[in-house]
Amino acid sequence: MTNHDDGLPNDPEGISLMIHALIDGELDAAAALAVERRIAADPQLAAEHARIIALQGALSRLPRPHVSDVFQARIAALGATATPHPAQDVPTQDEAAGPQRGTLSPQPDQIGVGQLHGTSRRATETRPSQTRILPRARRFGSFDWRALAASIVISAVLASGATQWVMVDNTSDSFAAGVASGHRRSLLAASPIDIVSSDRHTVKPWLDARIGVSPPAPDLAQDGFALIGGRVEVISGRPVPALVYRHREHLITLVAEPQQGGTTTEPEDLSSSGFSLVQWSDGAFSYWAISDMERPELDDFVARFRKAAV
Amino acid sequence: MPISAGFTRICRAKSPSPPEGAWQTLPGVLDHGADLSEKALAERFGEVVLPHLGDALTLARWLTGNAADAEDVVQEACVKAHAGISGYAGGNARAWLLTIVRNTAYTWMSRNRPRGMLAVGDLGDLDQMAAAHGTSLPDEDGPEASLIARADTAALEVAIAALPQPFRETLVLRDINGLSYREIAAMLGVPMGTVMSRLARARSLLVSKLGRAP
Repeated sequence: MTNHDDGLPNDPEGISLMIHALIDGELDAAAALAVERRIAADPQLAAEHARIIALQGALSRLPRPHVSDVFQARIAALGATATPHPAQDVPTQDEAAGPQRGTLSPQPDQIGVGQLHGTSRRATETRPSQTRILPRARRFGSFDWRALAASIVISAVLASGATQWVMVDNTSDSFAAGVASGHRRSLLAASPIDIVSSDRHTVKPWLDARIGVSPPAPDLAQDGFALIGGRVEVISGRPVPALVYRHREHLITLVAEPQQGGTTTEPEDLSSSGFSLVQWSDGAFSYWAISDMERPELDDFVARFRKAAV
Repeated sequence: MPISAGFTRICRAKSPSPPEGAWQTLPGVLDHGADLSEKALAERFGEVVLPHLGDALTLARWLTGNAADAEDVVQEACVKAHAGISGYAGGNARAWLLTIVRNTAYTWMSRNRPRGMLAVGDLGDLDQMAAAHGTSLPDEDGPEASLIARADTAALEVAIAALPQPFRETLVLRDINGLSYREIAAMLGVPMGTVMSRLARARSLLVSKLGRAP
């Protein structure tokens, strides 16, 4: 094989992988161009390319499993079912993220099998209410229906009580939820920031020009928390400035809600749903720092920010 | 390549290895999931899980080999996803769910089909095999592309089912579920180069099998 100086591998296996990557859209424009040139110059590579395309075409025509309405409803019912103590009869979070060998003790095994056989054997019994009750009934065979009914009532009372408690105490809760969902959305977006700059003298005027307020934006790069930019969040119907810091691979969103009251509060932990969330006030702003870092690291950031912002 | 029953155990112990990184939850944060109201969790479940049921069923169908078992696996995976929803830390919902489906499929199969797992040898052997055989393939005169394009569904299904499991899951995740190399590498906990060589190997196995068909 002749040698090329286009930066591509010269061994047959290497170039073959590049052709696969080209077809899969995994190459950048420069590499794609180079591979396409190789293909154009070599009939063997061109044939290989054509075969992979043909195979993908055939694979794409394979029938997809149909999500039946019944099945969709059954799964949707899982989500709707109030399970105050889900950890008791479903595998733990660790297993949801990836089962460890040995975590499946015989007991959960039987429950799993019972559940499957009891509910999903494509029989006509598809009422979602049965999906949870049947295996429990089987598991606690000695319990009579009164105990079952009582536990359902207690569950319902607990669940509604919890809901009410959350509804009553949600003045800051809804703002926290807004901060959390804004952060979540930013991680899914193409870019987590609207103004890209590590220079606070760029970020602050940008925020000022957009919404007329800008919080202190110290660059904590030497502490390991680099300011990478900012964006505007809309929370509870109001635009609020948000700064974005990076710590290793983690992003920290710092939302600063302008305050009228002027009270100063110490950092408070509001972490939930997989994110660490810390809230504090300095009189001028109420700050919300959220990240998928662990608490101690976020606390470290908060401490450094407060020191630098004063 | 040694093929023996003894390798089954190794293969099974290895294949459902937990994914590295992205979707693992942070210790210490988990407990706070309970603070979130049931309603919010139910909503999150609806947002994260329900839109991807079709993908989940597709993956489970190819891992288990049939559509009926796929529904059982996906239902079980959704129970786990529901229990773990408070630990879902944003990011790619589809890849998160498919990771659970994949792991559930393997535990499900090891439970329900103790002898059904293919004895395919050590994964390391497979990857070496992929590397070694991959070299010779592009040089040979492969079958005509038109022959492969005309392959009928049944032949294709048989060919996919016959692939060794690591090759099959990589092919299905890429060509049927449409995940990127990076997502597959994160899900399987292997380097991207391994994903690429497994994928190339899986495709060339399919190509040669379909090309041979009458």
